[in-house]
Amino acid sequence: MTDENAWVLQAQQGNDDAFTQLVEAYQKPVYNLCYRMLGEPETAEDAAQETFLRAYQNLHRYDSSRSFGTWILSIAAHYCIDRLRKKKFSVFSMDAEDEDGTPFEVADPASPDPEVESVKKEDRARLHIMLKDLDPTDRAAVIMRYWHDYSEIEIAQSLKLTVSAVKSRLHRSRRALAGMWQAEKSRAHPERRSRESLAF
Amino acid sequence: MNHLPFEEWLLNNMPITTEQQRDLDLHLRTCAYCSALVETGKVLGSAKMAAPAPGFATRFQARLAERKIAERRNKLWGMTLFILGGLVLLTWATGPYLVSFFTSPATWISVVVGWLVFIGTTLFALTDAGLVILSVIPNFLPPFAWLVLLSTFAGAGLLWSVSIWRFVRVPQGV
Repeated sequence: MTDENAWVLQAQQGNDDAFTQLVEAYQKPVYNLCYRMLGEPETAEDAAQETFLRAYQNLHRYDSSRSFGTWILSIAAHYCIDRLRKKKFSVFSMDAEDEDGTPFEVADPASPDPEVESVKKEDRARLHIMLKDLDPTDRAAVIMRYWHDYSEIEIAQSLKLTVSAVKSRLHRSRRALAGMWQAEKSRAHPERRSRESLAF
Repeated sequence: MNHLPFEEWLLNNMPITTEQQRDLDLHLRTCAYCSALVETGKVLGSAKMAAPAPGFATRFQARLAERKIAERRNKLWGMTLFILGGLVLLTWATGPYLVSFFTSPATWISVVVGWLVFIGTTLFALTDAGLVILSVIPNFLPPFAWLVLLSTFAGAGLLWSVSIWRFVRVPQGV
C-alpha cells in the first residue's frame, strides 16, 4: 500500500492529520488548476481551500480504485466551472502577479539567456490571460492536458465527458487560442513597426 | 488559406517525415494562423505550475475547524428549532383534546378503552379470516399459477432492489 492510499484510508477513518498529508501532497496541482481556471491568486486560494473541504466532506464516497489526484482535480474543476458559470464575468488580473501566481519579477540576469527567458515569461502570461476567453469546461480540459499532463482518458473521467468530446474540446481550444494569439500579434505589429521606424 | 493537413499534424502532435516537415516549414512562412498554433503549442508545452502561498495546509486546518464549528452550531440551531416547532405544533393540535380530557377524564378513558377493544377484536377476526383463506386457496390455484405469482413477486422485488441501488449509488467526482 502506498503512502497516499494509507493516508486516504486513515483520513476515511477520521484521522485529520492524514488528510492534512493529502492536502500537503495535492495543494500545488489543485491550486494551479484553480488559478488557471479563475485567474486570480486570492480566488484560486479560496477555491482550492473549498475543494479540499468538499473532498474532506465526501471522502467516504471516494472510490480507492481511482487515483486520488484525478478525483480531487475533478472536484476542483467542477467547483471552478460552477463558480465561473455563476459569476459570468471573471476578472483576470495581471497587474501584480506573473503567470506563476507570484509577484511579478523581471527576468533573472544570471539565467543563461535572460532576454529569451523574459519573452517566454511574457508569452506564458499572455496565454494565461487568453484562457479566460475559453468556455469553462474547455479551459479545464486544456489545463488538465497541458499543466497536469493528463491523458484524454483521464480528462474524460475527471470532467465526465467522452474521450471524443475531450479531443474535440481540446482542438477547439487550441484553434481559439491560436486565433487570439494571431489577432494580438497583428494588433501589436503596427506598434512594433512604429517603434522600429523611430529607432532607425 | 487551406490549413490541411498542417493543422491536423499540429493539433495531434503527429510524427512527420522530413519531407512533411519541409512542407510544414514552407506553409508556416506564409500562414500566420498555423504559426500561432505552433507558438501557442510551444507556450502550452512549457506551462509552469502555480503554487499557493506558504502555509496553505495550516490555513486549510483553520478553515476546516471553523467549518466544523459552524456546522455544529447550525445543527444545534436546526435541532432546537425542530423540537420547538414540533412542540408548538403538538400543543396546537392536541390542545383542545387535552383541555376536554382534563375537564372530563372518565368519558375519555371509556372512549379509549372502547377503541382498544375494537382494534383488538378486529385484528383477531382478520387473522382468523386470513388463516381460512390461506388454507382454502392452495386447492383452487394450480401449481403453475403459484409459479407465475411467485416469479412476479420475485421480479418486482428485484426491480425494487435495483431501483433503490441505482438511486443511492455513490457518484464519483462529487
